Amino acid sequence: MVGAASVYLYYVATQFEFHRRGANLGPDFWPKLVLGLVLATCAYEIVKIALFGSRRELTGVLQDIVEDSARDYGDEGDDGSAPQGKPRPALLVAGIALTALYVWVIQALGFFLATAPYVAIFIALGGYRRWGINLIVSVAGTFFMMYFFMKVVYVSLPVGQEPFAQLTFWLMRLMGIR
Amino acid sequence: MDGVLAHLAAGFVDVFAPANLLALVIGLVLGLLVAVLPGLTLVMGVVLALPFTYTMEVTPAIILLTAMYVSGTYAGAWTSILFRVPGEPIDVPMLWDGYAMARKGEAAQALGWTLIAALVGGLASAAVMVLLTEPVARVALTFSTPEYFAIILFGLASVISLGGSSLANALISLFAGLLIATVGVDDTYGAHRFTFDVPILSDGIDYLVVMVGAFGLGEVFMRMELGFTSAPLKAAGTVSTRLPGLREIASLKGTFTRGTLLGIIIGIVPGAGATVASFLSYGIEAQYGRRKEKMGSGIPEGIVAPQCAATASVGGAMIPLITMGIPGSGATAIILGAFLLHGLQPGPQVLQTSSHIVYAVFASLFVGVIGMCLIGYFAARLLVRVLEFPEVIVSAYVVMCCILGAFASRNNITDVWLIVVFGVVGYLCERFRFPIAPLVLGTILGPIAETSFMTTMISFDNDWTVFFTRPISGAVMALVILTLVFPVLRRFWSPRRRSAT
Repeated sequence: MVGAASVYLYYVATQFEFHRRGANLGPDFWPKLVLGLVLATCAYEIVKIALFGSRRELTGVLQDIVEDSARDYGDEGDDGSAPQGKPRPALLVAGIALTALYVWVIQALGFFLATAPYVAIFIALGGYRRWGINLIVSVAGTFFMMYFFMKVVYVSLPVGQEPFAQLTFWLMRLMGIR
Repeated sequence: MDGVLAHLAAGFVDVFAPANLLALVIGLVLGLLVAVLPGLTLVMGVVLALPFTYTMEVTPAIILLTAMYVSGTYAGAWTSILFRVPGEPIDVPMLWDGYAMARKGEAAQALGWTLIAALVGGLASAAVMVLLTEPVARVALTFSTPEYFAIILFGLASVISLGGSSLANALISLFAGLLIATVGVDDTYGAHRFTFDVPILSDGIDYLVVMVGAFGLGEVFMRMELGFTSAPLKAAGTVSTRLPGLREIASLKGTFTRGTLLGIIIGIVPGAGATVASFLSYGIEAQYGRRKEKMGSGIPEGIVAPQCAATASVGGAMIPLITMGIPGSGATAIILGAFLLHGLQPGPQVLQTSSHIVYAVFASLFVGVIGMCLIGYFAARLLVRVLEFPEVIVSAYVVMCCILGAFASRNNITDVWLIVVFGVVGYLCERFRFPIAPLVLGTILGPIAETSFMTTMISFDNDWTVFFTRPISGAVMALVILTLVFPVLRRFWSPRRRSAT
């Protein structure tokens, strides 16, 4: 897949429009060089797998040190890897979809109206079921972030479109933000 | 030397200015919290703090991020020792002897040794950093574009070679970063590169978006797939620290010296960083230490060696960052990003143009190491209580900070979409074992590498052999080749690895 994408991008790089200046290298040279290196890496991997299978993996020095040290001095599971739960792909897809939805609606609803429900749903989705704490954390946390970014750091967060913008303006007045 | 000391003294005065001191304390506390909190890594923490520094002056901004970096190498040891939960790979060697000491009822002593090791390693490396920066910068001032290109290439090669994953995957990740950096309108020819007629892509992809998306959001998605399963923790109410006596410390002077020196050297090498330093230092102590046969059974040497090296690596890593603008790790890449965001390009000239900022940052490292240990001594019990905080709530706020960070940089919603895209890319990288650090470093260093390469080609009539024929660039290019070949040679040298394959 990486190789195929590289071939396509290499083709795109050949189509860059520019006026060449004498014998100087053009703006297409560097991307083509990098893509050539990607293709060389892919070719190496393909040849390696064809000849030796996927067992002969050359790894960075750190991985070797970690594996050797964990084997020599540690107990099983002491290799620093994160605790592994059972993979839940549906939860992941829901999380990504929820985040995408949040980004989609934030300009229409404004920062506060989009973020507080997003945080609450995210926390519930992650399996936290203490609803009172969830409500406080999402509403108060969003309020604090809005205050901090708009009042202290002077970042102009999305206010939303009418009629939702009215709530943002009311909150801004409440926080003393002009 | 007098000039350096005078600058450093002025730096100390700057650090104690209220805004800088506040940034330092906040940075230290945040770094300690990040190292302790489940679901947050040191790099992620520094990434998340970056947007909060947008409107700060450059000095407190860099002080805050550097303080987070240094204190993040310390507090993870607490959870390793007390709960057998290493916050990140840096802290793994600490648990082999630290947790064994805790099981023997010596947890307070173990925490005391950690504190002293961080203090010695941190202060010694800060001193070496101050001593070496000016001479290194003076040498770097003589560099031309071929030397710069060679050095950047060396930095990228060592990130690949010393990293913790498949070399091929690391290379692909790096090349992807270099390609992302080419997106947008080319400065010299005005050509649109990989913009696909999307207007926002004409401005290029901000490295900040890649960094925050891949490191921050990607990690959250990864943890979400695993259902936010932090390891169960026991109550943290009994945490206390007992410092070792001077005689006890003196008896381990060899361990302190070895760990500190190794940490500084490893820190200077781009790509190595605190994790390699920590593991290597433990390994060397286990091979050459006075009580090598007792390593792993719960002796202070097993804590001092890795902790000294991990904290000492911070001062070492700051040298190439400040003098040549080359970050060697995820955390230093973000600190470089903060410099660039504030319009300051680290490199040999920075000591001439902005020496007061550089020396204030240097001084902050001395004050920060001492402050970190004081906070650790008095507030470890309180800070460890954040372990009881549910990981999913932390993660929800991580996402919010990521999105705010992306939006705040250019006030553009497209950047927020891009951050979600790079969050998914970061997840896929983690999932399929493509390291993220080369991707991010490629995005940051790509434009500098391309400019150095193209300028060299124009200056030397497209003669690429110039990289190998000039003395300094030739030597560095030889190092690049050695660095890339090293993992292959290591495989053949090591009988264990040869038999494993």
